[in-house]
Formats: sequence, C-alpha cells, structure tokens
Amino acid sequence: MAERCAVIGIGQTHHTARRDDVSIAGLVREAAERALADAGLDWGDIDAVVLGKAPDMFEGVMMPELYLADALGAAGKPLLRVHTAGSVGGSTAVVAANLIQAGLHERVLTVAFEKQSESNAMWALTVKTPLQSAVVAGAGGYFAPLIRSYMQRSGAPEDTGIRVALKDRSNANKNPYAHLREPDLSFETVANSPMLWDPIRFHETCPSSDGACALVLSSERAATGGAHPPAWIHATAMRSEPTQFAGQEKVNPRAGQECAQEVYAKAGITDPRREIDCAEIYVPFSWFEPMWLENLGFAPVGSGWKMTYEGATAPDGDLPVNMSGGVLSSNPIGASGMLRFAEAAMQVRGQAGAHQVDGARTALGHAYGGGSQFFSMWIVRSERP
Amino acid sequence: MSQQTQAADILSAPHVLEYPYRRSVGPVLSRFFTALRERKIVGVETSAGRVLCPPAEADPETGAAVSDRFVEVGPGGVIESWTFVAKPRDKQPLARPFAYALIRLDGADTALLHVVDADPARLRTGARVRPRWRAETVGEIGDIECFELETSR
Repeated sequence: MAERCAVIGIGQTHHTARRDDVSIAGLVREAAERALADAGLDWGDIDAVVLGKAPDMFEGVMMPELYLADALGAAGKPLLRVHTAGSVGGSTAVVAANLIQAGLHERVLTVAFEKQSESNAMWALTVKTPLQSAVVAGAGGYFAPLIRSYMQRSGAPEDTGIRVALKDRSNANKNPYAHLREPDLSFETVANSPMLWDPIRFHETCPSSDGACALVLSSERAATGGAHPPAWIHATAMRSEPTQFAGQEKVNPRAGQECAQEVYAKAGITDPRREIDCAEIYVPFSWFEPMWLENLGFAPVGSGWKMTYEGATAPDGDLPVNMSGGVLSSNPIGASGMLRFAEAAMQVRGQAGAHQVDGARTALGHAYGGGSQFFSMWIVRSERP
Repeated sequence: MSQQTQAADILSAPHVLEYPYRRSVGPVLSRFFTALRERKIVGVETSAGRVLCPPAEADPETGAAVSDRFVEVGPGGVIESWTFVAKPRDKQPLARPFAYALIRLDGADTALLHVVDADPARLRTGARVRPRWRAETVGEIGDIECFELETSR
C-alpha cells in the first residue's frame, strides 16, 4: 500500500519573455522560495529535490542539476533530474510524488524551469545529422500536419482553434503569473494573425517564456501547517511511445489514451467529464484542446471540438479547461507541464484567485511532450484518498 | 559483401554543432564581475558570516539566500591545491607551463579556481599568491591574467 502524498506548497515566477535580471539559479529559486513559503517551510525541512527541464541543449548548460544543486538547497540530499521532453514538468512532479508514495521521504521539493530567452529551442530541436537533411520545422511545423489531419477527420469548423485561443488568452487575463495578457484580443485579431505553420496562426501559438514552477510534496504525516489545505494526489500515470513506428496513431496517440485510462482507474473515475471538475491540459497550439479532449476521454472521437464550440471548456462551462490561460499564454517549456499540475492543485486548494473554479474538488493535470509521445497526468482532490 | 565490411564502405562526415546562446549571470555575480573591472575582488557574506568568493546566490550549506553584504577580499591569497600543466594546448590560458589552482583569497572562506604562473619546483600547497591584472580590464574573470607567487625569485 503506497503512502499518501499531498501538494502542500506551490510557487511560480511571473512568466515573461526575458528575465535578464536573474540567472537560471535565481529564476528557479524564485519559484522554490514561493513554494516553501506557501508550505510554511524552509530549505532545511526538505528531504530530497527533483528537478526537471527540457533538453540540456536548449540553454546549452550540460547537466544543469549539478550547477543548480546549491541553489536548490540540495547539498547533502538526494537530487534527481528528470527528462521527458515537453511533458517533463509533469513527469518530474510524478517522480517526486513517487518518492513520497514509496515511503522514502517526508517532504520533497520539485522544480522545473526553462529560460527560453537564453535558449535555442528551435535549432536545438533540429540538429543536422551528417549526410542527411535537417527538417528545420520547429515544434509548430511538426504538429501542423497532425492538426490538419484532425480537422479533416472530425470536420470541425475552421474557427475552432480561434475560439480556443480566445478562451485561453481571456483566462490568462485573470492570472497574474501569465506571460501573455491581452485584454483587447478579438476574434478578428486571432483570425487575421499571420499563418505561421498552416493551419496554425500566430495567435494560436504558445509564446517563448522564461519561467519556473515549484511544488512541495509531503507525506500524510508531514502535511500540516501550510496556509492552504493540501491537494491530495489520488493518482499519477506516465506513458511513452517511440517517435515513429508503423501503424502509429499520431492524432489520438495510444500512449495518451492508456495514460488517461490508468489515471482514471487509479482515482476510481469512470465518467471523467462528470466526475472531474476542471482540467489543465497541455495545449501549445490551439487545436490541441479538442484533440486532447478526445484523447483524454472527455468527448467521443471526432467530437471534442463540440465541447469547445458549446462553451463546455469555458470558465463557466461544465468542464473548465486551462483556467490559468494554459501553455498558449505562458510557455517556459520545462516548467509548462508542472504548471498544469500546479494549477490543478491550486484549484482543489481553492487558491486560484480570479481564475478559481467555484467548488473545484477534483482536477486533472496533464502534460505531453516530444512528437506527441510522452504523457504524464495526475488527479488531485481536496479530499484525502 | 565480404565477411568484413571494407573500411572504405563506412561513411563518416564532419559534424560541427555550434549554436549562439546568451546568459544572464544574475545580480550576485554581476557585482563580482563589475568589481573586477575596478581591479577589486569581492566575496559575499552568508547569513552565518562566511565569505564566499567567488560569490554565489545561495549558501551552499543551507540553501538560504546570501546576504547583500559584499566584502573586498585579497588581493593576495593561499594555494589550497593545484595541478601543473606541463604542455599547454592552444586554448589554455598561458602559452608556457602553468598551474591550475584553488586559491583562498585573504578574507574569504572558499576557494577560487584560477591560473598560477610559476615554476613547478616552487609551487606548493599553502604558498601565497597575488593577482596579475591585465592592462585593460573589462569586467570578466580574465581581467586577472593569472596569479603569481608573492615571494619573488
């Protein structure tokens, strides 16, 4: 029987395009100190540290966990680094939770970050191998054909993606930590924005952000004393599949479906749309909202777009999605998955401020990465398991 | 195909990987590098009163943020440990044989890694050294060309 585990501290930076005022160490410490303060704890109370970020080549810092060990108060403590591409923030939180659930530690600090202003995310993903060509597409170029396939299969109205972008950017206006806050954004502005990777427009694309997120996770014994009630982790799950293989389903990946099935089963959820109060899911390009709604089992295959269209995923809908503004509004890549998990926990702790979903008691945090091949998820609740 | 693939059949090609990056060193190290431009070396005090040089943003003992008290250290110091480079390569800091050394500057509690220009016969742990500054300083660690032994030959 696994030990119970709770989120007792949450911290994040104000995500923005460029944080020249701080080093990478200073950036991660901002999030970590806010999480410790939220938990009412100090560095010395932490038993182990788990760090996640996207590939080392993004910032060009080899093994950043070594450079950051002192800054994360990890001297004399176990320090782990996790990497699963864009989903890493989520899987880092899962690994940290596993350390508590295994009974190894009482309190674990987990931190994820990206400093995109000091990064080379586009080119670091496009290394030209000798004798071969480089794709030079970036993430948008990779995902654009998958979105096109979804549009063709589902017959979704062409403005579905625009509606997602408007909804998420509108939510971001209520989140003081969000990178993009555009109160004047209109349907026409999104629709007329430049086509970056057809069919993905500029305003349907995530920004490049500097930012970090940190969580303090604790055992049931140690889950006392914080300013906010704990968010209890009821289930975690991770899945991965190769980048490409024969017969692979890229639009609705099997790894994502099975990851969702596992996390619901562990949490005792049989009807996710009815039993989950809100979901924070990894949507870096607007069309991924309807695609993941189907992959996650919130809507039948081919009809995820209807939830978007009918307003089900709006803050006042029956399944609010990406209350924080989501990846579309802030994207410090390595931290983006953990921010989803953090938002889910903030919702069930009732600490989400202007983007709080009234009465949220069960929330899903979701992250994906690579070529839609790495998935991590958790279900958190206000009630203990 | 013969039993062993002929070496000439195995292709390889140069693979040069170069990306431009930028890096903010943050407020603490910015003080350190700015002081170097004035030919001064500063450390930062932890809340326990230890002086870290080079400065760090966090106390490695506790994880707590360091204080905002910057103190001038050195310029002289003591070699804590060293290794000698008898045949320097192109990109190493000196063209003649030299030592890399951990140098604890006077007033500091931690050691700085730098270069010592000295005869290996005279190098020893505990030897006193002083910085040799470049004629023009710009605010980077190379403003100290190297350290040299305090006792002249």
